[in-house]
Amino acid sequence: MISRRPSIFIYTHRADPDFLREVQAGIEEENVTSEVFEKEEADADLLAYDACEASMMGSGIGISGENVALQMRGRKPKESVCNIHMPTFSACRIIGSNSARVLKKQCLRDLE
Amino acid sequence: MSIVAGVDIGNSTTEVCIGEYVQGKPVRFLSGSSVMTTGTKGTLANIHGILAALKEAMGRIGRDVSGIDLIRLNEAAPVIGDTAMETLTETIITDSSMIGHNPSTPAGAGQAAGELLSFDRLGRGLPGTPYIVFVSGDHGYEEVAERINETAGRLDVVGMILQADEAVLVENRLARKIPIVDEVKRIDRIPDGKMAAIEVALPGQFIRMLSNPYGIATLLHLNADETRTVTPIAKSLIGNRSAVVIRTPNGDIRENVLPAGEIYLDAEHPVRISLDEGADKIMKAVSDAGKIRDVTGQADTNVGNMLNRIRKSMSEVSGETDADIHITDILAVDTLAPVLISGALAGETCLEKAVGIAAMVRTQQLPMRQIAAKLSDVLHTQTAVAGVEAVMASLGALTTPGTALPLAILDMGGGSTDAAIIREDGSVSMTHQAGAGELVSMLIQTELGLDNRYMAEQIKRYPLAKVESLFHMRMENGEMYFVQESIDPRFYGRVVLLTESGLVRVEKDVPMERIREIRREAKKKVFLTNALRALRSVAPDHNLRRISNVVLVGGSAADFEIPEMLMEEFAGYGIVCGRGNIRGTEGPRNAVATGLVLSYGGENR
Repeated sequence: MISRRPSIFIYTHRADPDFLREVQAGIEEENVTSEVFEKEEADADLLAYDACEASMMGSGIGISGENVALQMRGRKPKESVCNIHMPTFSACRIIGSNSARVLKKQCLRDLE
Repeated sequence: MSIVAGVDIGNSTTEVCIGEYVQGKPVRFLSGSSVMTTGTKGTLANIHGILAALKEAMGRIGRDVSGIDLIRLNEAAPVIGDTAMETLTETIITDSSMIGHNPSTPAGAGQAAGELLSFDRLGRGLPGTPYIVFVSGDHGYEEVAERINETAGRLDVVGMILQADEAVLVENRLARKIPIVDEVKRIDRIPDGKMAAIEVALPGQFIRMLSNPYGIATLLHLNADETRTVTPIAKSLIGNRSAVVIRTPNGDIRENVLPAGEIYLDAEHPVRISLDEGADKIMKAVSDAGKIRDVTGQADTNVGNMLNRIRKSMSEVSGETDADIHITDILAVDTLAPVLISGALAGETCLEKAVGIAAMVRTQQLPMRQIAAKLSDVLHTQTAVAGVEAVMASLGALTTPGTALPLAILDMGGGSTDAAIIREDGSVSMTHQAGAGELVSMLIQTELGLDNRYMAEQIKRYPLAKVESLFHMRMENGEMYFVQESIDPRFYGRVVLLTESGLVRVEKDVPMERIREIRREAKKKVFLTNALRALRSVAPDHNLRRISNVVLVGGSAADFEIPEMLMEEFAGYGIVCGRGNIRGTEGPRNAVATGLVLSYGGENR
């Protein structure tokens, strides 16, 4: 049996480091771990979708440059839960936190 | 041929029934409608609602309002209702004495006591003194963790209070694990240099030390007198996952039990009863008092103020002086209200005992004739005020398939619960009782601590579900409901209302089971109590067993659970009870409006 600590996948393409850091902080504050993978794909929606499909957590995050997207399992590739261009740091935290809350079966926080 | 419109103005809705009379033939019902009542029942502001309802009803048959030959308005009972709520006990805690809230992610576990030290003055801390450091949201988690780690060996930091939601982030970077509470909004009100105790519970548990007065005494070295004064704090912290209590030596912490006061019933058998006795005893006194002329409250007490408020608002509505307003019935209900603790730092509330009262005020006469005249002016249509409301409701109820005389009706509206019995000879006895749908909404709003009445109304009206994944919901009856298309993620993990127009989020973070319990209890407290006393009042010899069948009408009879609650209760008295189905199509609504159209035929026979 293969077992590994469950973590949320963040698929990135030349991600803005500040946005990535804040998203990771949002996940960590919820006591969940995350892993970052750099990808060729440049569409944040598709990155999030692929991250979500690849992980067993039911959610995934895609960051392409200054676009940050959150996706949940079962939704269509272009229908991310959110996809924000140039989000504020607090929005990044909420996106990270929400991705963790999906697996904790908790309601999502509203983006301001 | 003539088109007759029956219009019933209720506390909550205005209802219209359109009927067609052709010489020598029975009435043919064409249409009906229901809109929200505009303004207080019985005032000229109702005109807008009436016009909208007439327009809607005529529109349904593809005709204009000008096609109506006669409008018949209900002779509304000259009673108007109002509700009020008052907390009986109030915990007053001032001087920033406590933080006891449930941030979703506190960090660490355990408890500690120490002197409060601002993060900005970390350099001033002395070795050997245990400190609880509080940090404003201006400092990021990395900076905070780094500087606290730097103090290791020099300062003894035993706990932290953060303004930002970063407890876990800070704790993960600290060399030494300590309890940390975060998301404290009013960090600016934390006093530097005072003693404080902090506690974070283990996962899945509640705090134990700070929700116990002796626990607080142990941590903060309190004497017996001081321990007594912190009891309300301990009480309000029960059930929290984390808390901070700050010792303010000159702080003003007291549990202030305001005098609840006595209610005076000026009646056939005058009674005085203390509000402290509880709703059951009050309602027993109301029932034993016989015919009530007026209800007043002891001056300068909670109940006195509450009844005066009702009197004042009713005098504004009816245009009569306060002295002319007579409260002829009350319904008292025990409840719990979350009260914002003054001096709290994170918006904490505590549950206090409260009582809700619905009062029925008898006025001289509602200005229905003025409304009729105004309608006539606006529409150039003959308008008349006709028929006693309860008689019209009974006539309308009789259009329910399977009904016959004698018939008892229970008209459950927004403001009042009315009962009437119509016998074979046409004689009618009736009663109006204070308290109906609006009191239920008020109870739901209070007990859930909702900001607005609208949300409470929605909760009252619709069943609940919990969205457990994007593809399924758990209904309040335990049933699982699966959907093909993904549910909007905004509803994920939320308790929602299942309305006709889709899902509506309940913004309050309260478990579905608790909301359901509060909703059902509120309905039982109001409608079971009122249905029994209303029917008892009109029953032959006031004996419920002498009523054989009851038809439920009015807006609250359309509720998805109230009729079933009543059926269960009435089954014990051998009463057949069911929701009316006016004209076989309208459900329990529209009884009075239908009665108004029907009675026109009777009068012209």
